[in-house]
Amino acid sequence: MEALWLALLGTLTAGYFALAGFDYGTGLLLPFRRRDEALRRMTPFFLGNEVWLVAAVGVLFAAFPRLEGELLSGAHSTFTLLLAGLVLFMAAVQLRLWWWLVFAGALLVSAGWGLFLAHLLHAPWFVAPVMPVLFAVHGWVFQTRRWKLFPATAALCALPVPLAFGTIDVTGLMAHPDTLTLLAWVAVPVIPLVVVLQWSIVAISSR
Amino acid sequence: MSAVDLARLQFALTTSFHFLFVLLTLGLVTLLVVVQTRFTITGAPVHERMTRFWGRIYVINYALGIVTGVVMEFQFGLNWSGLGTFAGDVFGAPLALETLIAFFLESTFLGLWIFGWGRLNRWLHLSLLWLTALTAFASAFWIMAANGFLHHPVGHRLDGTVLRLDDFGALLTNPAFTSAMVHVVFASITAGGVFMTGVSAYHFIRRTPETDFFRRSLRLGVVTTALATPPLVAAGFAQFPVIARVQPGKGEAVPWIGAPLGFMILIGMALVVASWLTLPLLIRDAVIRLRFPLHLMVIGIPLPFAAAIFGWLFREIGRQPWLVQGLLRTEDAVSHVDASQILLSLIVFTSLFALLAVTDWVLIARAVRRGPDVTPAPVSPLVVTL
Repeated sequence: MEALWLALLGTLTAGYFALAGFDYGTGLLLPFRRRDEALRRMTPFFLGNEVWLVAAVGVLFAAFPRLEGELLSGAHSTFTLLLAGLVLFMAAVQLRLWWWLVFAGALLVSAGWGLFLAHLLHAPWFVAPVMPVLFAVHGWVFQTRRWKLFPATAALCALPVPLAFGTIDVTGLMAHPDTLTLLAWVAVPVIPLVVVLQWSIVAISSR
Repeated sequence: MSAVDLARLQFALTTSFHFLFVLLTLGLVTLLVVVQTRFTITGAPVHERMTRFWGRIYVINYALGIVTGVVMEFQFGLNWSGLGTFAGDVFGAPLALETLIAFFLESTFLGLWIFGWGRLNRWLHLSLLWLTALTAFASAFWIMAANGFLHHPVGHRLDGTVLRLDDFGALLTNPAFTSAMVHVVFASITAGGVFMTGVSAYHFIRRTPETDFFRRSLRLGVVTTALATPPLVAAGFAQFPVIARVQPGKGEAVPWIGAPLGFMILIGMALVVASWLTLPLLIRDAVIRLRFPLHLMVIGIPLPFAAAIFGWLFREIGRQPWLVQGLLRTEDAVSHVDASQILLSLIVFTSLFALLAVTDWVLIARAVRRGPDVTPAPVSPLVVTL
């Protein structure tokens, strides 16, 4: 049961970061690309990643209740920065008033994840730019349609944070097997269903 | 202010903003289901245009509302780590079910609905909206189940220093949940009805040529409000016996607790009376020709939203000093974080959420002013496809 929930959390987190590369990457590249076209390409993927993030944090809370609070409150100001960036990014993309606000939001949220990664690995703060760089590279691969490179850069975005989670010892931090069994009945079938549905969104919108 | 006061203020502010979005989302999706179902059955162009116009407003509100929800969810871990540590096994279950089987699916169905416009079979497209609406209400269901547990903790056993899940079914039959759930459902449908009425009235005041379109919308709004408000008020009063049983001290939590409760009841009653007085005036469009009721309808748009905030203030302040009634004190649940860090997040999130609410209002007002028939140019990237 423990391994199953670690795998589920890893899948959801990796799903978020793999999809986040589409929009944060595009946001980071806005100063250097044709902005209307770049944003139009991103549209079917917009908000696609946030649902994975919400699901991941939900699983973190329910399945790892004694880890979630320590993990988030231990990096309180990092998450303030990160969530501020996320709010700015999502609002700015909708408003489409100032492209630099989209850029600033993408930069804040990706730098925030970089800082969180450094926090997880007990690494110095200057490790933080690694996430913005990875998102930007993945965004560039997506925008310039270099599909051969695509799986590699997607994996590079997806893996750092889930792998850093692997350094945490979760013994005694997980919920009771009663709670985990109940939730597993729901979590296991829902993830493939969402993958199929999200894939359909992209397939339909490119028709 | 201490860390616990700041964290409480932040939770109150962000939750209030979040709920404004939620209320309109739930209300509009219900009305959209009615409109698109009629379109799919009759094939009438006016119903298609109504689906498009109200759908656009719904999508704008949904996309911005998501953002407030993301911050809401993080807030439990950021500021209230004691809640997860103590009650995460029980409280976390409905919360996780909300993210997995409600929100996760709801957003995805909605995405398919948006991008499937004109590209999918009409009936398939309609069923996506039905699924979006069902999962949206499922979301409210699980959140209210989690909230009901905080007010009347059931279905748990104490295992050392933490709560364990003992009886999941008890969480779903919790009287503090079921009575409030019905109230919230009808509150959101009322908000949708009042909103649709007010926006349609605005177009009659401006004498927009789209009379058939807004006449139908106004009727739907008024009838919805008239049908939703009596059960709304009844479900409100039905909670008093439950409160008397499970939270007898609720009325004395703070000296002014009666004020928000009183305002909410007043607004609820006013909406019942106003909507039922308007019903006979729908005959031969008397309400439109009289004109002055149209102005009242526009002024009335904020009322259900104000009432909802008053209602939550009563419900949540009345729980103090407990976070989980009788089991966990609010002051014992706050994270071990410096007050200055919470102050920073309070300032950042509150200003951003205020900005989001204004953005939502501006974008919706823009979409409303443009009316049904123009190309939905830069309103929102998601709306372009509608």
